[in-house]
Amino acid sequence: MIPANQLLSEIVTSIREVIAPAISEPYPKAQAYMAAVILEFVARQVEERSDIEEQKHAAMLELLRDLSQLPGVNRLVRGDELNEIGLNKLIEHLYAERGRLGEETFAAANRRVRQTLRKLLDQELKVAGKNED
Amino acid sequence: MATSPTVQEKIAGYLQSKIPRARNLALSDFVHSAGGWSHEIYVFFATWNEDGRAMRQGFCLRKDPGISLLRELSNLREQFRVIKALEPTPAPTPKAYWYEEDPSLLGGPFFVMEKVEGEVPNPWSRAGKQFYADAAKRGKLPRSFVEALASLHNLDWRTHGLDFIGVPGDGKDFALREIAKWESLIDQSIRKPEPVLTELLLWLKANAPETRRLAFVHGAYRTGNLIIKDDQIAAIIDWELQVIGDPMYDVAYVLSNLNREGSPLLSCVVEREFFLDYYQQLTGLTIDLEVCRYYEILYMMRSTAFWLSASGLFAEGRNKDLRLARTTYSVPVVLDMAAKALGF
Repeated sequence: MIPANQLLSEIVTSIREVIAPAISEPYPKAQAYMAAVILEFVARQVEERSDIEEQKHAAMLELLRDLSQLPGVNRLVRGDELNEIGLNKLIEHLYAERGRLGEETFAAANRRVRQTLRKLLDQELKVAGKNED
Repeated sequence: MATSPTVQEKIAGYLQSKIPRARNLALSDFVHSAGGWSHEIYVFFATWNEDGRAMRQGFCLRKDPGISLLRELSNLREQFRVIKALEPTPAPTPKAYWYEEDPSLLGGPFFVMEKVEGEVPNPWSRAGKQFYADAAKRGKLPRSFVEALASLHNLDWRTHGLDFIGVPGDGKDFALREIAKWESLIDQSIRKPEPVLTELLLWLKANAPETRRLAFVHGAYRTGNLIIKDDQIAAIIDWELQVIGDPMYDVAYVLSNLNREGSPLLSCVVEREFFLDYYQQLTGLTIDLEVCRYYEILYMMRSTAFWLSASGLFAEGRNKDLRLARTTYSVPVVLDMAAKALGF
């Protein structure tokens, strides 16, 4: 069996070098080239998806651990929502409670949340990051 | 067995009904354009005889595909009314001819406007970038680029009846309305939680600027949405995102890095300093760079909303255009830009 990445690579080459140049209508021609671009992304996605979820989980775990040590913020942290839905709620609560927390505490918590968001984004960019010419 | 008429035949029949004195009406150079993410676009010439004279005219037809990138935010009737309202103004726009709501004609609402002569080089392509870079050296197109934008912002929009698109209240209302509009598109489209987007939206709401003066704003003023002929803007197109709002919203779009991948020129065509000086000279407005920076971040949220909507439509099986599928990979890229702009 041809490995998935090699197969995808062949399909991409075929679309770019054989199929798309043979199409004269602009709309289906653009569709064919776009299929090649998407398949290149899919190839990277198939390869990297599993470690991405692990890294995201670890980043969120660290965040909850750190925030639970911040006075005033700890009551907003719920360990049972260690996922992106839970993180969304946490961010919303932080902004909603900004007045009660005070600017200094809010800023410290927001800074720490943003560090985690950066880590999550970096994981997503492993697949979506630019690699086009 | 009778075959059903093609789109071209249906459009020819429609034109005949709108130009009843036309004899031997025929369409030529009929192109279903690959451009246009929200609507189907057909460009063609019509020839006919009228009172013994041979007539030839180019038309462009925009049709609602049933479900567009902007979903419920897209309003073809509003686009038609806006283009019509702009006809007597100095803003370069195509002439708008007919709007049709009846889906039995072409399968969805559509409108027909003038096919403006000129070209729309794609600024994302190598050839397009080269076109704009060469035009920038000649100097005429950058001037025209700024003048066309100023012509919009200098419009007396109430006099021209453009207030029907909605007028924001004082203070932060314009920015907050824009955020709410795009947040509604996000809510319709989102398929998995995006905490970076949540942070971005909350930051935008907490930092919304006040609008000092309301103007008629295009909402996507850049090369690629401008028809160019002889180094002049022959027409501003893509009337989908216009609002009455802060003119800095358009200025920010021009200043944005979103529209000039790899080019040192704003929108691939105009020097930054020249743009700032000439725009202020033509409009009498002072460009507030801090406000523009805010709107640039808002545009990153808006782009995210576009891409979420587009990829969502594809994932939902409501649109088969592969370009929409590709945009799922654009979401983290634009969120990365926003995160960097916010300092993380």
